[in-house]
Amino acid sequence: MTKVFTLALFVLGMALASPALADDLPGGKCLECHVTIDDDLGELWQDDVHARTGIGCDACHGGDATQDDSDLAKRPGTDYQGELSPLEITRSCGGCHGDVEYMKARKPLLPVDQLDKYQTSEHGKLLAKGETRVAQCASCHGAHGVREVNDAKSPVYASNVPATCGGCHGDADYMSDFDIKTDQYDEYVQSVHGKALLEKNDVRGAPACNDCHGNHGAAPPSIDAITNICGTCHSYNAELFLGSPLAPAFEEKSLADCVACHGKHLIRHVSDEWEGDKPGATCRKCHEEGEEGSELALYFTDTFGSVRQSFEEIEQLLGEAEVKGMDVTEGEDYVEAARQGLMQARTLMHSFSKPVMEEKVTEIAANQAAALEVGYAALQALEDRRRGLAISTLLLLLLTIGVAIKIRTLPPLD
Amino acid sequence: MSTSPENPDRALLAWAKDRYPIGKFVEWAEHKTVPIGPGAFWYYFGGISLFLFLIQVGTGILLMFYYKGSADTAFESVRFISAKVPFGWLVRSVHAWSANLMIFSVFIHMFSVFFMRAYRKPRELTWLSGIVLLALLLGFGFSGYLLPWNELAFFATKVGTDIIGVIPVIGKPIMYVLRGGEEVTGSTLPRFFALHVALFPALLTTFIVGHLFFIQMQGIHEPDAWKAQPEQRKTMPFFPHFFMRELLLWLITLNIVAVLAVFFPAELGIEADPFSPAPAGIKPEWYFLSTFEFLKYMPAHVGPLEGEELGLLLISFGFLLWCLVPWIDRGQSRRMTTIVMGTGVAILIFLTILTGIGYAT
Repeated sequence: MTKVFTLALFVLGMALASPALADDLPGGKCLECHVTIDDDLGELWQDDVHARTGIGCDACHGGDATQDDSDLAKRPGTDYQGELSPLEITRSCGGCHGDVEYMKARKPLLPVDQLDKYQTSEHGKLLAKGETRVAQCASCHGAHGVREVNDAKSPVYASNVPATCGGCHGDADYMSDFDIKTDQYDEYVQSVHGKALLEKNDVRGAPACNDCHGNHGAAPPSIDAITNICGTCHSYNAELFLGSPLAPAFEEKSLADCVACHGKHLIRHVSDEWEGDKPGATCRKCHEEGEEGSELALYFTDTFGSVRQSFEEIEQLLGEAEVKGMDVTEGEDYVEAARQGLMQARTLMHSFSKPVMEEKVTEIAANQAAALEVGYAALQALEDRRRGLAISTLLLLLLTIGVAIKIRTLPPLD
Repeated sequence: MSTSPENPDRALLAWAKDRYPIGKFVEWAEHKTVPIGPGAFWYYFGGISLFLFLIQVGTGILLMFYYKGSADTAFESVRFISAKVPFGWLVRSVHAWSANLMIFSVFIHMFSVFFMRAYRKPRELTWLSGIVLLALLLGFGFSGYLLPWNELAFFATKVGTDIIGVIPVIGKPIMYVLRGGEEVTGSTLPRFFALHVALFPALLTTFIVGHLFFIQMQGIHEPDAWKAQPEQRKTMPFFPHFFMRELLLWLITLNIVAVLAVFFPAELGIEADPFSPAPAGIKPEWYFLSTFEFLKYMPAHVGPLEGEELGLLLISFGFLLWCLVPWIDRGQSRRMTTIVMGTGVAILIFLTILTGIGYAT
């Protein structure tokens, strides 16, 4: 009985809701009819960016939206196209989005080269060859619920992009005919970029798939392009590397600049163990023990190791002084400056130049020395304070004894 | 000894005597006595509180030489005092420790007066002025706590002023005036600074003078038993006997303050950031901890009232009764005296337990 009642309510609700939807949203008679067939359509269309600007069903699907009768609505001469094929989708979307005059009047800041770029992408090239399983506009943006790119619910919103791309590229069965790996998404989520974007929600700073591969023109970057791609964000690192003796050597050996050391999708934080000349270290991929490059790697390792050891010593010293109640904030400022210096030194490493590194290390060492001085001065001051306290306590004690003696010498009470 | 210009000390005294009633003062001082009853030791805590107040005034003035009372500069100026000003750390730490010890000493003084039933006629106004002094000292503590403008102080002030805002009708306007707006912001700090260094010192000095005047007029309370057995009455001269003993305790107190300041100096903390979330475990100073805990354990709603509203109502009612103790227990009914003393013990235990829980949790 309850089920019947619920069903009756649902039918009544739909009956009341459908005309209301049709009244508010563009789509005319098409929408009135299709919301009763497709449960999701009404909800999707409500949030669709095109629907909000008054673009109706006929803009993509053709047909006559003023007709109650479906046969009349789809009759010849109405340009009715029904469900669009992947290739038709790209043409339909590109028809408006590639039209400079049309877009200038509606969304002048939106680029109009999406279709051109798409045609240069691996997706676009394969589609042109007749492969319909590749991504086209609707695969990423959706069809009837297209949202603005900066809408957090959009599948192409920065933090949703990895899952959207990974939806196909992480599916081994789906990708089996394309002869490409499917571990990109799994690797990306463990990378520094993935963690920054997906865990810290750094949608402005951390790159998603499209930031390196391009969005509409998505393709694997060429070796020559790697430094430029990484250098978009890590510009100083790229500049240093391109000016270093390693750049021509990499070119000669056809090594992908940044990727050769840092990897692609699984880029992790750099640790001191990275450098050095021990087997397994990154530098050992190319440099044998005892070579000039290996010597430099060893210098980097020793330098960073020594700087790190000094930090431990400083932290211990400042911590001891702080626990004993001393103010060491000035020392902490020096530590912070030294840490900033270390971060800069890691960047300067990309110059692969010993003199450049030595200059920065001298600066770090100066800040560390100043921090140590603050720590030792604090402990010395503590000693001075305690000595001062001991002297003043002695004086107060003498005074107290003097007063006590005086009390004893006073005339006795009655 | 001559009072001639050849003996400058005597000459100065003669000069003063010639112009002011010094002799009367000396005569008064020579005859002033203090009763030596069973609880005579507790009398000293009034004087210790006064001594700590004088330390507060001295160190407070020194701190004002360098302190800058605005949100942009307060933290840095306190840091400067602690790190760069010669003996600045000592002055600041002594100020902080002396404040805490003063409130502790005043609590001891108040409860000793209570348990010795020294509030009875004719000392009702002495009792009331003492309670006002305690309230002012708590205001001093509350306003001073924010001045270093560190994270802990900022959020403790937020919690404290939130509690004030719960008081029906008048709470919100008072909270608004104290904060200088809806929230604790940079506008709050100059207000607290003004209260701490201008309004409260003026009021406190006035009430201390009044309190001492009442004591001077009526003398120190004597044990009730002496009324029935006057032969047991025993006193000591204020000068020099009582004064020297008081001086002894002042010296010991000064040493305790110095030891605390050296071994447990006042912390600087992290600079307050009004936009950062409140850190875990925010607690007020120990003298507000029992009130804080009491309100924390109140249920969310009790009838038409919110739990905190009822809690504050109960505290206010209790405070009113505490003020009216001299009129509730006039010494005419042994039963009433027993009830009042029992209640005092219960309050003391209650405050101690709640403060202990506040520290432990």
